[in-house]
Amino acid sequence: MKFIIQRDKLIASVQDVMKAISTRTAIPILTGMKIEAKDHGIKLTGSDSDISIESYIPAESDGMVHVEEIEEGSIVLQARYFPDIVRKLPEKTVEIEADSNLKVTIRSGKAEFNLNGQDAEEYPQLPKLQTDDSFELQTDLLKNLIKQTVFAISTMETRPILTGVNLKLEGKQLKFTATDSHRLASREIPVKEANIEFSSIVVPGKSLNELYKILDDTDEPIEISVTNNQILFRTKHLYFLSRLLDGTYPETSRLIPDQSKTVLYVNTKDLLNTIDRASLLAKEDRNNVVRLTTKDGQTVEITSNSPEVGRATEEISAKSIEGEELKISFSSKYMLDALKAIEYDEVKIEFTGAMRPFIIRPVNNDSILQLILPVRTY
Amino acid sequence: MKTWSEVMEIQPLASKIITNSIKKDRISHAYLVQGERGTGKEAIALLLAKVLFCENLRDADPCHICSNCKRIDSGNHPDVHWIEPDGQSIKIEQIRNLQKEFIYSGVESTQKVYIIKGADTLTANAANRILKFLEEPSKKTTAMMLTDNSQSILPTIRSRCQVIDLRPLNPRLFQQQLTESGMSEANAILMSALTNNLNDAFTWIEDEWFAESRKIMVQLIDMFSTKPDDVYLFIHQHWIPHFKDRKQQEQGFDLLLLAFKDILYAQIGREDSMVVFTTDDESLQRTTRYFSQEKLHHILNAILQAKRNLKQNVHPTLVMEQLTLQI
Repeated sequence: MKFIIQRDKLIASVQDVMKAISTRTAIPILTGMKIEAKDHGIKLTGSDSDISIESYIPAESDGMVHVEEIEEGSIVLQARYFPDIVRKLPEKTVEIEADSNLKVTIRSGKAEFNLNGQDAEEYPQLPKLQTDDSFELQTDLLKNLIKQTVFAISTMETRPILTGVNLKLEGKQLKFTATDSHRLASREIPVKEANIEFSSIVVPGKSLNELYKILDDTDEPIEISVTNNQILFRTKHLYFLSRLLDGTYPETSRLIPDQSKTVLYVNTKDLLNTIDRASLLAKEDRNNVVRLTTKDGQTVEITSNSPEVGRATEEISAKSIEGEELKISFSSKYMLDALKAIEYDEVKIEFTGAMRPFIIRPVNNDSILQLILPVRTY
Repeated sequence: MKTWSEVMEIQPLASKIITNSIKKDRISHAYLVQGERGTGKEAIALLLAKVLFCENLRDADPCHICSNCKRIDSGNHPDVHWIEPDGQSIKIEQIRNLQKEFIYSGVESTQKVYIIKGADTLTANAANRILKFLEEPSKKTTAMMLTDNSQSILPTIRSRCQVIDLRPLNPRLFQQQLTESGMSEANAILMSALTNNLNDAFTWIEDEWFAESRKIMVQLIDMFSTKPDDVYLFIHQHWIPHFKDRKQQEQGFDLLLLAFKDILYAQIGREDSMVVFTTDDESLQRTTRYFSQEKLHHILNAILQAKRNLKQNVHPTLVMEQLTLQI
């Protein structure tokens, strides 16, 4: 294998790929980075077996030549040393050459490094996903979907399947759902062209968080395809693969109440700030509990009370309140998370009694749904 | 051991059980492979893992040349997980990582294999965590637990595995192997008493440390019969500085045990079973006269007790001092 490459291109790719490589892994080869040279470009791969990132540098794009003198081949290099070497090389171009004894020579200007490589055969083979079975989304939209749901995943290991986000694509509707059994967040969006359908796959929350960090806020399309054990997110030059969680995701649609006794319309920011203030005193209490009480037709009172510290009371005026009077207690943390995820000015909160879960939605928009279970207080 | 027929030569029963279940496609979700050091536990686990992943299986034998087989050999297969004791025992942290692995789907394939070496060293907490997986195995996972001390496996774990008993190796066979590989007969006899592993035997015999420890051991026994008053001094000057870590100390006791066994054999006239000494050894004859049979019996018991004490983390110097006092 041999090629000469523009150093800045290589640095950018190496940095992307390094995000997937972890130093403490059970499989020794995964401490390395795979470099694959093909006629049309160079591909770098990093993996910690849960997620894998591939970065592709085309030999030529937009009339610019990035990679020259390519001789095909592949090699695995120690990820501990390779990125630093590349970053500190003197010239603008880097020549990388591997011989049949897995010895790699990196040259740039007058600097020369000899590294011991590993056989690329030993590297895990990532599934070859069919590009026909995929659908497209805008990158920023996907990031939004992740942000609005992934916070609700469970961090407990008792029900491992809940540490993932449930993805569902049916009838050109894509739905993300996450729950930790005390609250639930879901978001649904229409997808333009989709020639696959899947009823329930579960992507680890950790992987989605990682993906969220890697993606840029652009409106460029990102292509998503699914096999039975991996999911692939593909942008122009970056492939992000994640393993899926094994198991059945609980049926969540029945949890969502379809009737309501009290409906509250309120400004999101006002409510958010009020609860945030009230929670200052509630923090001492382990559950972070705040209480919401409806007063006459227009105002809502938010109180928190922890006997050792003191109490906080604040009234805010709602847009309107319909239905029965209500007193309900809930975790302020869950409420804040939910309100932050809804990026609309006004929300509609539907209650069905003090002991039943309530749902929060933007006014006139059913695609985002946040559900919270109340706390029993006496 | 690269094929089941090779395993058959050493472990006929185990080989048969496993090959039959492979052929009938009824591989169990969990195996507990128990047998002494060197009886081929790892070889069997490796072979079975390869069978599950190999691309060109012939009958029940894997090909050893496809990329899956190669990667299982080098420990780089992403769907084969090895758990080894971290220090003295398998820690709960390792099991936690394993459990995380249980809930993920496979990396390349849809099946996964877990090989737990030294399963007897699982801490009680770790063992109980594994139980859950053994109770409700997810689809297409195979666990193999390897142990040389089957008695310390929790009964709750044992009852959930298919148990494969490996029979102990025949020492004569091993001696033969050693002499065939170029070891002198006397050394081969000694080594076969100490280990079942061919590689270990050869590294030890070439190791200067081992030769030295043998010398110290012979000197020590000599001292017992000639200058018993100086023994205490001797162990502090030579024995304790020489046998430094736990493994070396255990080996020291093993050597001592073998030597005293020999003295007993010499007394009861079974010279052919002797391991360390040869019949015409002068010091042997002297010590044989010195110790009574009853005394020897007592000493052997004391050495075994000392080994046990060492396992239970008694301070090694104290163990050795106590032993010499008893002798």
